[in-house]
Amino acid sequence: MEKPEKLIIDGKRLDGRAPEEMRPLKIEAGVLKRADGSAYVELGENKVLAAVYGPREMHPRHLQRPDTAVLRCRYNMAPFSVEERKRPGPDRRSVEISKVTRQALEPVLFLELYPRSVIDIFIEVLQADAGTRTAGITAAAVALADAGIPMRDLVSSVAVGKIDDMIVLDLTKEEDQWGTTDMPVAIVPRKKLVSLLQMDGNLTEEEFKRALDLAFRGCEQIYQAQRQALKEKYAIKPEGE
Amino acid sequence: MGQSRKISSESEDSNLNSVGLVVKVKPMAEIKTGDFVVPGDFLATAEEFVPGEGAHEEDGKIYSSCTGVVLLDARTKRVSVFPRVSGPPSLKGGGTVIGRVEEVRDQTANVYIGVLKGHENRELPLPNLGTVHISQVQKGYVKDLHHQFRSGDIIRARVLSAQMGSIKLSTADDELGVVVATCSRCRTLLERENSKLKCPNCGNVEFRKLASDYRQGAL
Repeated sequence: MEKPEKLIIDGKRLDGRAPEEMRPLKIEAGVLKRADGSAYVELGENKVLAAVYGPREMHPRHLQRPDTAVLRCRYNMAPFSVEERKRPGPDRRSVEISKVTRQALEPVLFLELYPRSVIDIFIEVLQADAGTRTAGITAAAVALADAGIPMRDLVSSVAVGKIDDMIVLDLTKEEDQWGTTDMPVAIVPRKKLVSLLQMDGNLTEEEFKRALDLAFRGCEQIYQAQRQALKEKYAIKPEGE
Repeated sequence: MGQSRKISSESEDSNLNSVGLVVKVKPMAEIKTGDFVVPGDFLATAEEFVPGEGAHEEDGKIYSSCTGVVLLDARTKRVSVFPRVSGPPSLKGGGTVIGRVEEVRDQTANVYIGVLKGHENRELPLPNLGTVHISQVQKGYVKDLHHQFRSGDIIRARVLSAQMGSIKLSTADDELGVVVATCSRCRTLLERENSKLKCPNCGNVEFRKLASDYRQGAL
């Protein structure tokens, strides 16, 4: 695709969204039969699956922690998830994303309840269109709740950025590629804690504040969708339905 | 009661319908028995209630730590969440487990616990090593534990108690005991002959505390 002259025309983005509008979001809990917990997230063209296993016995044994459980994350992109075939397997980028995902989710788990065990999270990106790490975190939080693992709270995550000198919510691939800045944020909704904040590009202090504020509002929408997904799957339905 | 619950679910729905423009569910809203909660939902203040199963206390407030339905006990002042998701299995007294005998000593047999009955599809968190004391092997007197268990046997046992670090098991019942055993000489599966086990390969005869359904394939 050619670089478009402008990313925002008449206050509308390339896909017709307003600057502070998110792509359509779909979250489903408990989609995988054999996983202990799982979730599927669609955010626009992003399609992400998360599976959770454990707490279970940790192998190799020398990685066990005698006092707490260990959280292990694996973020992986399918070779067919991007336009040009991606070489399968972990690379520099996915190793980094696995690490920040783990750190984004760790604060909500009661890891100390399961000494010497491990909780495994697998995030598989089936289709990518910018913002897969945030979609992955959103899916993983629902999958952890689906696995019944005790949690303090969910984690909601969304990206904000700057395109054509404007702060926008939830960038697409084109906006990520041709825009100035991309900033994924993950939030623990109840206590309003930021558990992931990365930035590619630059923002002034004023822009950063506006961007973070927008990210908080975006995460609130994600959080409500996560709740709804769990509610649809697990709330007791009134009889006759 | 049912009436009031219905009203609350309606008002909650109207909050959730406006996903685009969020009307936040008031965190201090009164919660009732039967309400659906997800992890992180406010349940009560610590002055009013004690957190039970599926709930935790943080900064003087009690929040849900699992996905399920609220249970308020006004008498014991306990607020708990009855889980609607199946959580990680936890070994408690009374549960039935399947395990592998790792080591047989004079007084005890160490058992690696594989699964808890009712949670067959889920692995156990650690610690998953149990012990069967010689007095808990069967109802009568046991002279030599090596005549009841051998390392490598698959056994079914009942959990007597599971405190931090020690899980006590018992096989003193008809349906408890060894379900699969191999010959200690040639490792072929032993076949049952009344109360004895015989090796079809080398003719070796062994003794075990057998479960009533030895080698019938059922967990």
